[in-house]
Amino acid sequence: MSAQTSVLPVATGRTTLATFWQSLRRHPALGWASVGTSLAASGAAVVVPLLLGRLVDLVVADGTTRSLLLTSAWILGAGFAAAVLTGASRWLVTEWGMRACADLREEVLDHALRMDSARLESAGSGDVASRVTDDVEQVTDSIRLAAGVFTALVTVLVTIAGFAALDWRIAAAFLVVLPVHVFSLRRFTPRAKRLYAAERQAAGVRTQRLLTTFGGMRTVHAYGMAQRQSQRVERASQDAADARLRAVRGFLWFANMMNYAEAIGLTAVLLAGFLLVRAGDSSVGDVTAAALLFHRLFGPLGMLLVSFNDVQSAGAALARLVGVIGVDVPATRSGDAPAGRAAAGVTAKSVSHRYADGPAVLHDVSIEIAAGESLAIVGASGAGKTTLAAILGGVFPATDGAVWLGGRLIGDLSPTDLRRTVGVVTQEVHVFAGTLADDLRLAAPDASEDDLHAALRLVGADGWVAALPAGLATPVGDGEHPVTPGQAQQLALARIALLDPPIVVLDEASAEAGSAGAHQLELASSAVIRGRTAIVVAHRLTQAHACDRVAVMSRGRIVELGRPDDLVAAGGRYAELWAAWRR
Amino acid sequence: MTDTPAPVPTGRLIGGMFRRQRRDTALCAGFWSLHQVCEALVPVAIGLVIDQAVGTGSGTAMLWSVLGIFALFVALTMGWRFGFWFLSKAVVQESHSLRMRVVRRVLTGRGIRTSRQHGELLSIATSDTQAAAELLELGSRMISALVGLAVATVVLLRIDWSLGLGLVVGVPVLVLGLHALGPVVERHTSAQQQSIGRAAATASDLLRGLRPLRGFGGVDEAVRRYRSASRSSLRASIGAVRAGATFVGVSTFTTGLLVTVVAALAGWFALQDRITVGQLITIVGMATFLSDPVLNLADCVFRLATARASAARVAEVLAAPEPTGSGGRTAQPGPLVLHEVHAPGLDGVSLTVPPGELLGVVTGQTTTADSLTDLLAGARPPERGEVTLAGTPVRDLDVATLRRVVLAEPHAVDLFGSTLREVLQTGDDRDDPAVRRSMSAAAVDQITDGGVGLDRELLDHGLDLSGGQRQRVALARALLADRPVTVLRDPTTAVDAVTEHAIADGIRAHRTGTDRATVLVTTSAPLLDRCDRVVFVHAGRVAAVGRHRDLLAQSAYAEVVLR
Repeated sequence: MSAQTSVLPVATGRTTLATFWQSLRRHPALGWASVGTSLAASGAAVVVPLLLGRLVDLVVADGTTRSLLLTSAWILGAGFAAAVLTGASRWLVTEWGMRACADLREEVLDHALRMDSARLESAGSGDVASRVTDDVEQVTDSIRLAAGVFTALVTVLVTIAGFAALDWRIAAAFLVVLPVHVFSLRRFTPRAKRLYAAERQAAGVRTQRLLTTFGGMRTVHAYGMAQRQSQRVERASQDAADARLRAVRGFLWFANMMNYAEAIGLTAVLLAGFLLVRAGDSSVGDVTAAALLFHRLFGPLGMLLVSFNDVQSAGAALARLVGVIGVDVPATRSGDAPAGRAAAGVTAKSVSHRYADGPAVLHDVSIEIAAGESLAIVGASGAGKTTLAAILGGVFPATDGAVWLGGRLIGDLSPTDLRRTVGVVTQEVHVFAGTLADDLRLAAPDASEDDLHAALRLVGADGWVAALPAGLATPVGDGEHPVTPGQAQQLALARIALLDPPIVVLDEASAEAGSAGAHQLELASSAVIRGRTAIVVAHRLTQAHACDRVAVMSRGRIVELGRPDDLVAAGGRYAELWAAWRR
Repeated sequence: MTDTPAPVPTGRLIGGMFRRQRRDTALCAGFWSLHQVCEALVPVAIGLVIDQAVGTGSGTAMLWSVLGIFALFVALTMGWRFGFWFLSKAVVQESHSLRMRVVRRVLTGRGIRTSRQHGELLSIATSDTQAAAELLELGSRMISALVGLAVATVVLLRIDWSLGLGLVVGVPVLVLGLHALGPVVERHTSAQQQSIGRAAATASDLLRGLRPLRGFGGVDEAVRRYRSASRSSLRASIGAVRAGATFVGVSTFTTGLLVTVVAALAGWFALQDRITVGQLITIVGMATFLSDPVLNLADCVFRLATARASAARVAEVLAAPEPTGSGGRTAQPGPLVLHEVHAPGLDGVSLTVPPGELLGVVTGQTTTADSLTDLLAGARPPERGEVTLAGTPVRDLDVATLRRVVLAEPHAVDLFGSTLREVLQTGDDRDDPAVRRSMSAAAVDQITDGGVGLDRELLDHGLDLSGGQRQRVALARALLADRPVTVLRDPTTAVDAVTEHAIADGIRAHRTGTDRATVLVTTSAPLLDRCDRVVFVHAGRVAAVGRHRDLLAQSAYAEVVLR
């Protein structure tokens, strides 16, 4: 199950950063406001310990009660400013990140939906789903964290400036922590990358298993195989848990180093202060302020380094998202004027196809279908019917050969033009979550209520739709009002009717309905076929027999082609199938 | 496996989490408390060093100071590190166990009655179980923060009782005040989580329907819909962020106020020589340290709301009722009988499936076929009438044992596992010859061609198989399961006519000669031709019973089965 996880690319660190930075730059006003308030908030927060140092000096110098009150008032004021500014910066920085993240996730889904099919099919739905749900969620969640990191970073920088303002020699002493941090980060980073990538991967497998399990709940119930299927999920979940703990263990070493760096830094600051005060170059108050400032840094520095953990794994998730964005998708703009509803024929020349590195499933298939003609494709399972239909319908390109729709090469049509020219009903049916009208309007967003009713009438679905609790407004899909496979097929046909293309490709449109509804569906598909060029993958030979011509496929080749009655009369393979069918 | 779980309210769920992970959570709280104490001692140490070494200029004192600081930091580091390790173990284990409870609850028996989409269930099983388990972290953090506060209080009490007393009173007031803000934040966060859940559900729904979606060119519209779901989720998130930011602002200010008051008082005491400069520094340092545990507590309060909301969703799934109840009696093989049942499309149908028979059930109505399949499988109760197995009403039977006797393979094919062998096995593992026999009966043996055999790797969900292959693999799986009663609904709709004949022979050969009963709910003539007996249900009632060839004489029957 893990073999296909690498099919979708994962972006490099540099690309990931660049892409995220670009999304951030789309909101310049928020960006400037965030930076400004964060700087001001950190500034105000640094002033507090500096003022506390002043207070110590004042006591050492035996100052007046009045000056003590004045300093206290300043401390309170700085504290208030720090509070307001900290709240504001938290809000602004997080909103900035969230807006960028929303842009990003929309772009990811956009790319996931438009990605070229060959890649999508080999990637498996689980990997894509885990990126669009799990990874998006992780990145969204870590925006808060990233906002915290940003604030901490600003605080660290402002504090260092505060040190320098106090005494440059103490600031220099503080800098001894940097080599320690750099050393530990450099040793930790490559390991962390590996550990977190492994953790994400394990989580991806877990998501895939959970998705399959929840989707196939009915089958699990039917076999009473809860135990078996739970164990399957459990293995994946346990693997993910183990990967997580391995990542934690790696991180702990790093956290240790951080504490030692704090000890070294504090010692250095105090030692420098000790020497400076002994030499009479600095006051006890300054040393106190420096020590307090440094102590204050533990929080933000720790936050920076600790969240390195989560930033790394959020980074891994982000890289997977940017990887999806990096996948080329066909341009969406239509190249020429819309193809319109003009009648169009289909021509295929020497089409061959293989999936990934597999054996060829189509060999040198050529066929010409006149405008308005209907062609049935029949043959045994695995003969290549679905593949040929998919290639003729432009679902994915053939590895060899050329296909023309209405006289234009398929490769020259933009996705929009392609779908205006040809509508495809695939083997899988899916009822999209939302109201029934929403479901239909996916194919024709501007369709009026009357259009929807007309399409439903055409496919014979008007009766049961009218009987629904809220008609077209009834929620359908997952967990909502149940729709039978046959009804789902009718909806699929209704969507094509709404799309109204000159060419239709129907792949086993009546297969999943069960034979009870098959006759009804045959009527529906012939209604949709009427007046269009049609390619029908037919298992029910009655449906094939109603078409103008029949192509019989075997082992990736068209072995017979002709009018159904002629083929029966010729006594070949079709005649054999027909006899078996009528038996 | 069959016990019906008692309702799980959120509080009980959370209590159970702490009980199960008590050892690791307690260890974490202990080590983190040690860490907090050390953290509290850091400003004390700074004060001491400044007072004893920096102020006096004594080199020996400075040397001892350095050694002391290192000792303190070693303890501090160890405390945090061990605490974090035990906590991680507890959180990882607990989220795993919550996840598995959710999965088992959804899969066991008849599953649950819920309005949640698969995508939402997924998000409950992954992110909510994780967020709920993080309550363990919040618990440990709160305990250690309280210990840190206690130490700070003791130190201050020893320096000056009035300051210490002020803290003992002041800090709880602060925390309680911040706690009062909790509900406001919770309202926002739960709205946010719901709407994030909806956006994720939209995404996973669209992805699952991607092939059909592309077929009718719905991608643009789908993208637009996701965008609007994502935007409403963004709006909710920003609302929650503002609430959170206000909370941060208020808590920062209150801790700032605390620091100022303590520092000002201590300064005044120092001016009056009630305390030394070193003690003043300690107090000031302690006051700055204090903000850590107070903010920590406040942050825990803030996250408590989110984690509780997640725990509530997990509890809701665990407590969800079964669609129909389960009885307690053990199912025994025997005749499966429908007595005068009424259901959608059925208007008083009686029918007996005796052991050993291959029975065909024919109807031209989808609703009727659905009802019959569900009733025979015990998947739903009849509106009127009775369904019995070996003389016992099906509703009195324990679901787990019923499933060992009666199997109805759902018509929509779902395959599980990564190899063909794994996909076919559903219960007690069967040997390879048995697997091969069932595959050849389902006419699907050729997909193991090419030398890889049963270990052939399948893509997720068997997506690299054709529709016909998937249907036949599911049939082979049902035959391999070899239940005393097997109900097959239209098992050959996606295969060609020649293969259909082969399958019809295969099913007959595989199921007869034993006391196995098989029901074929179908209109396929080749399948019906092999049946011992065919029941024709028309207009909600049994219209005819007999052999397929004899029934063909009736025009109503012929119309349904001849195509």
